[in-house]
Amino acid sequence: MNDIASTTWRMLAQRTGGRELPRGLDAAWDTAAGMAQKLLPRTARFLRQAETVLGYDKEFSKLTEAKLREQAGEYHDMFRLGRNSAADLLRAFALVREIAFRQIGLKAYKVQVAGALAIYAGSIVEMATGEGKTLSATMPATVAGWCGKGCHVITVNDYLAKRDAEEMGPIYRFCGLRVQAIDQESTPPERREAYNSDITYCTNKEVTADYLRDRLAMGRLTGLSSALLAKIAEGDQSGTDRIVQRDLNYAIIDEADSVLIDEGVTPLIISGEAPNAEQVQAFQEGAEIAAKMKRDLHYKINHKYREVNMTKEGKAFAAKLTEPLGGIWAGQRRSEEMLVQALTAREMFLLDKQYVIQEDQVVIVDDFTGRLMPDREWRDGLHQAVSAKEKVEIKPPKDTYARMSFQRFFRMYNRISGMTGTAVEASGEFWQFYHTPVVIVPTNKPCIRKQLPTRIYPTQDEKWQGVIDEITKAHEKGQPILVGTRSVHDSERISLMLNELEFEHEVLNAVRHAEEAQIVAQAGQEGRITVATNMAGRGTDIKLGRGVAELGGLYVMATDRQESGRIDRQLAGRSGRMGDPGMVRTFVSLQDELPRRYATKTAEFLQKRHPPREGKPRNIANPMTRRMFNKAQKRAEHTAFKQRRAVLKTDHWLDEYLGFAGLER
Amino acid sequence: MPIDRPTFSESWYRVGALCPRLRSSVQVFRQHFRGQMWHVLQDPGSNQFFRLNDTGYHFVGLLDGKKTVAEVWNICNGQLGDSAPTQGEVIALLGQLYTSNLLQADIPPDAQGLFRRYKQRVGREVRGYLTNLLFIRIPLIDPDRFLERWVGIFGSVFSMIGMLLWFAIMFTGAYFLLGHTSELASQSVGILQTSNLPFLAISFWIVKIVHEFGHGFACKKFGLQAGGGEVHVMGIMFLIFMPLPYVDASSAWAFRSKWHRVVVGGAGMICELVIAAVAAIVWANVGPGMTQVIAYNCMFIASVTTLMFNANPLLRYDGYYILSDILEIPNFAQRSKNYLYYLVKKYIWSVRNPRNPANTPGEKTWFVFYGIASTIYRMFILVVILMFLSDRLPEELKFIAIIAAAVSGVAWLCTPIFKFVKYLATSGELARVRGRAVASTLLTVTSIIMVIGVMPWRDRVRAEGVVEPLGLEVVYSRTDGFVDNFLPSGTPVSAGDILLNAMPPASDPQARAAFVKKLNAELTASLRILKAEYDKIKRQEDWALAEGEHGVVASRIEEAKAKAEQIARIEEEITNLTLRAPINGIWISPDVDRLKGNFLQKGQQIGLVADHSPNNLIVRAVASQEIGAIFYELRNEKNHKIPLEIRILGRPNPAFGGHISKILDSAQDVLPSPALGYAVGGSVVTRQDDRQGLMAAEGFFEIHVTPQAMVDDKPIMLLPGQRVVVQFDLPEKPLIAQWWRSLLQLLQKKQ
Repeated sequence: MNDIASTTWRMLAQRTGGRELPRGLDAAWDTAAGMAQKLLPRTARFLRQAETVLGYDKEFSKLTEAKLREQAGEYHDMFRLGRNSAADLLRAFALVREIAFRQIGLKAYKVQVAGALAIYAGSIVEMATGEGKTLSATMPATVAGWCGKGCHVITVNDYLAKRDAEEMGPIYRFCGLRVQAIDQESTPPERREAYNSDITYCTNKEVTADYLRDRLAMGRLTGLSSALLAKIAEGDQSGTDRIVQRDLNYAIIDEADSVLIDEGVTPLIISGEAPNAEQVQAFQEGAEIAAKMKRDLHYKINHKYREVNMTKEGKAFAAKLTEPLGGIWAGQRRSEEMLVQALTAREMFLLDKQYVIQEDQVVIVDDFTGRLMPDREWRDGLHQAVSAKEKVEIKPPKDTYARMSFQRFFRMYNRISGMTGTAVEASGEFWQFYHTPVVIVPTNKPCIRKQLPTRIYPTQDEKWQGVIDEITKAHEKGQPILVGTRSVHDSERISLMLNELEFEHEVLNAVRHAEEAQIVAQAGQEGRITVATNMAGRGTDIKLGRGVAELGGLYVMATDRQESGRIDRQLAGRSGRMGDPGMVRTFVSLQDELPRRYATKTAEFLQKRHPPREGKPRNIANPMTRRMFNKAQKRAEHTAFKQRRAVLKTDHWLDEYLGFAGLER
Repeated sequence: MPIDRPTFSESWYRVGALCPRLRSSVQVFRQHFRGQMWHVLQDPGSNQFFRLNDTGYHFVGLLDGKKTVAEVWNICNGQLGDSAPTQGEVIALLGQLYTSNLLQADIPPDAQGLFRRYKQRVGREVRGYLTNLLFIRIPLIDPDRFLERWVGIFGSVFSMIGMLLWFAIMFTGAYFLLGHTSELASQSVGILQTSNLPFLAISFWIVKIVHEFGHGFACKKFGLQAGGGEVHVMGIMFLIFMPLPYVDASSAWAFRSKWHRVVVGGAGMICELVIAAVAAIVWANVGPGMTQVIAYNCMFIASVTTLMFNANPLLRYDGYYILSDILEIPNFAQRSKNYLYYLVKKYIWSVRNPRNPANTPGEKTWFVFYGIASTIYRMFILVVILMFLSDRLPEELKFIAIIAAAVSGVAWLCTPIFKFVKYLATSGELARVRGRAVASTLLTVTSIIMVIGVMPWRDRVRAEGVVEPLGLEVVYSRTDGFVDNFLPSGTPVSAGDILLNAMPPASDPQARAAFVKKLNAELTASLRILKAEYDKIKRQEDWALAEGEHGVVASRIEEAKAKAEQIARIEEEITNLTLRAPINGIWISPDVDRLKGNFLQKGQQIGLVADHSPNNLIVRAVASQEIGAIFYELRNEKNHKIPLEIRILGRPNPAFGGHISKILDSAQDVLPSPALGYAVGGSVVTRQDDRQGLMAAEGFFEIHVTPQAMVDDKPIMLLPGQRVVVQFDLPEKPLIAQWWRSLLQLLQKKQ
């Protein structure tokens, strides 16, 4: 009989489901507490403590390496046995800080230490890009590692997980801790080993997927007692041997806003093939019928809610066409559902915007990152409908085996903390969903980035022309430029225009993170033009080339306002890092998606006032148009928040009502 | 997705592969409601019910613990097509069955979840008690074995023969009652008297216990016929702090025949009416005494309370369940409410595809009617109960009424409002029409606030009063005498007109006249002599000479004076025999025509002359303390400007105008006229020890109102002594302020 790591048993014993959402008056109280806690002077407290940590510097910097190692060993024992006091924590941080300096040559600044303390205290820390979040995380991770209950450091992609684990590894190893990273290619034994290390670097996707796979392996085991019984009864055949994860204790989440909020409700799904020839055919038929239907006669489009509604004529028309088909088309409700889906695929999902065709396959383009998502599929047959529309091979919808949103998963940890460049806008949500306060850590050097006034154009064509004009102007000076686009489609459009002008430039929308990071890292060289979708190379520093600072630093041109102000700010944060000079300007048009969806009436009104016209791009920025964009963004943020909250509530409802279905997965 | 019932659900994977089935102990009963088939699932262990429609049951019925949910779903899709439950519906259905503990899955049960649900349910029940202080139920015993043992005998009440017997008894009872209607009415006065209360309480308990056992036996009886019908809970219910027995016969809901359910619902009343009928027979046939009193009480309770409370479908008692069964609309009240919401959602807010709680078209009207009627009635009954409590509870228990009011205020007002606001703010259903929903709600609320809170409404108070003439002279007889002739009462007179002639009391009036004549002549003669002598004396300057004669003259003067006095007295007597009107007005002496030939004593009141001309009338209105307070508040305004209308009591038309001439500052307690007293039909309660009925039990304010003299150039028709109602139109005030004032006064008064 194989031995099973004690951590696995602990995982089986772990309470699931996460903290219950407060209800009724409790919820009101909780929200009030969330508002009140914002008033706490956390930043000042952590900075004060950081001052103390820095004060120990003299003491530790004198120690020899052997002595340091000995000290680390002592702290390891102290924390594992839980005999530490508050002062010990600060000394331990100072020790790790010194070890980091000796091992990798980086000494944390005061603000970094303050950030580290805040992370350890279970906060979401807002630190500007380039302020050394990775280094900050080593201090709380080491201390958590010493405690011996495991610590997950969550990154947004495999590349970063591997890189950080390697770069920071010496620190942990010096402290007597095991550290490993997990990536897509890791085998189950590797994973098990990595999870049983003291510190595990992994992506949110991997850790969630492993959790789900474990749950699937457990099958009908609902907890520790049934797992123990199964182990005794069935020996190695019981699923317990295939479990790789330990209990979810502590997670430090990098880019916490992206993981916990933007991607919070994106479900991670483990699925399997379920061939269904009849259904595949039905999708094709649906696409054919949909192609025959006429907009506004047979169906109407509602932009605000992104949906298609069939009219009476449309229904009659569809009934006539589907009558001879039979099968799924026999029922009126089912066939209308199929058709609405086909129409949605036709009208709402556009090639190169929501998806691209690669190797005869529909590949989703992520709305937030603009990145291709070859593993992802739209659900409820939408993916098939889009495939049918593009006349590529239709794979039948997969059977879901397990499914979990990141939001739900990370709520199961005993303790989470995070760091990101932009968090304060979402502090309410962080509190409500995760009970984590947001702490803003000031930059080491003051930020001297110049925020140039937004340019607002009546039409998209004018906007792009305006962007090109601005690029030309800045490029002539030799200033490096980073153009952030919303979608692959947009970046290609800009690229095309730049080609016409014969400007050399790089376009980023690939999936290879390592390369992407390198290109982004080079974006600060003189004369560079980099066109990237918003999130490309996130987490990578852009260092300015020589002489670039005199030219005004990196010029970030945002060509769109995003659905969330945080994402705008992330893009802007690419320039002006670490006290460097930098410039940011946003270019928007009335025809952009944001105003069209979230300020429909005002946008229409303004479009009427500024009908399309040939000639020079017109900048119509004024307080009114600017307010419209701000309002639309606020509305978008609120809508998204409400949607996330609804998902959370539905999850809770399901847990309560589907108790007979066993553990959630 | 703009689809009403999307086929797929993303949570399907959690149930798809399971093989759940209904618990083996669950019993299924088929019922028909308005032609639709339903299935009632009952778990006898927990007495929980679940109603499933045909497709839902089709699905659940196929779950046998071997087939997976996904397989069953596919079968259903094949068999039922469009009407098959969607994945989402299946998940919701299974979830509900599971939380009702009716479902058994192939996975070991989640014990933690079971306990959590149990705790939640207990918590809900406790909360239910706390929010419903006025209707507390305490389960005490399990009567099932008892009922089982005796159902053979008592159950036969609910059979064909039983029914015939019942009608026979009813007719007999009615026959005796019809023969004694007058006694019936006269005895009803005493029913609520303190001395009767113990009898009333005893009778009440007897009747109600029989009532509850009626339910129990009926339920048991039909349960034996059709299965089910277990009755496990009997206890005490505190209805407005009044202990009453109750029995839980809810297992009757599973009966297939609606008439069985109806009879179980009505069993209590059937039994009570039997008691009423028997009591009526006894009451009519025994002489006065204790037996008769108890019989009367029983009769009263078993008929009146039964018909007023139990049979009233607007309250959630027997009548409601009977109605709901007869109409074949289960869960009638809740669905009525939902239907009203549905109407609002659909037609006012244009919510897309709101869920329609009506299964068949026939139900709709019932829903609308019942939804509105029961809401209004509940509000009404709540207010009545609270009033009753604050009125009847002894001083030291008043706080109960206040707590009850606060709790029901929270439960009936604050909670629904809070829930509604939350619904408006967060409901996903309203996502698209929230603006509209909020706007229409705000509009409704604002218009209600405008109407009752801002818009001024006429504010009227009333006071009863009597009409009195301003000028009034009472006519007394001024001398003894016999009435000779008189003016009939009611004749208008002017000052000086003769009202009444009397004759002197002496037997021969002529002799008396002659005597006066003689006396007169003598007097005249002696006066003449006296005068001459007097003149002579005056002319003589020599007083000394006259001295001797002086004494003589003086005595003669005295004599003459006495004579003159005598004459004057007699003359006055004669004059006084004629009574004249002192002022212009109307001669009022109701009894004058009976006086003819009668002897009048000097000083006797004969009648009065009242100045009835309209500009000389006054209304003395008696205002209660509350109204007085209002006038006190208005003291700075010009009281005589307050518009008012005077109406003769019992004659709403015509109304006369007028103005306030005076408000007597301090509270009075002597009524201006006994006619205003309670004893003779007035509105002011008088002291019981006051025979005359003039002393008011509670101080009042007297308001003098001068009526307008002419209406349309015609004098008004008010007459002195008439009872009138004066209606004051106070300055217009919002309704809410008026209600608030009434409430405050009411509360203060009840203290």
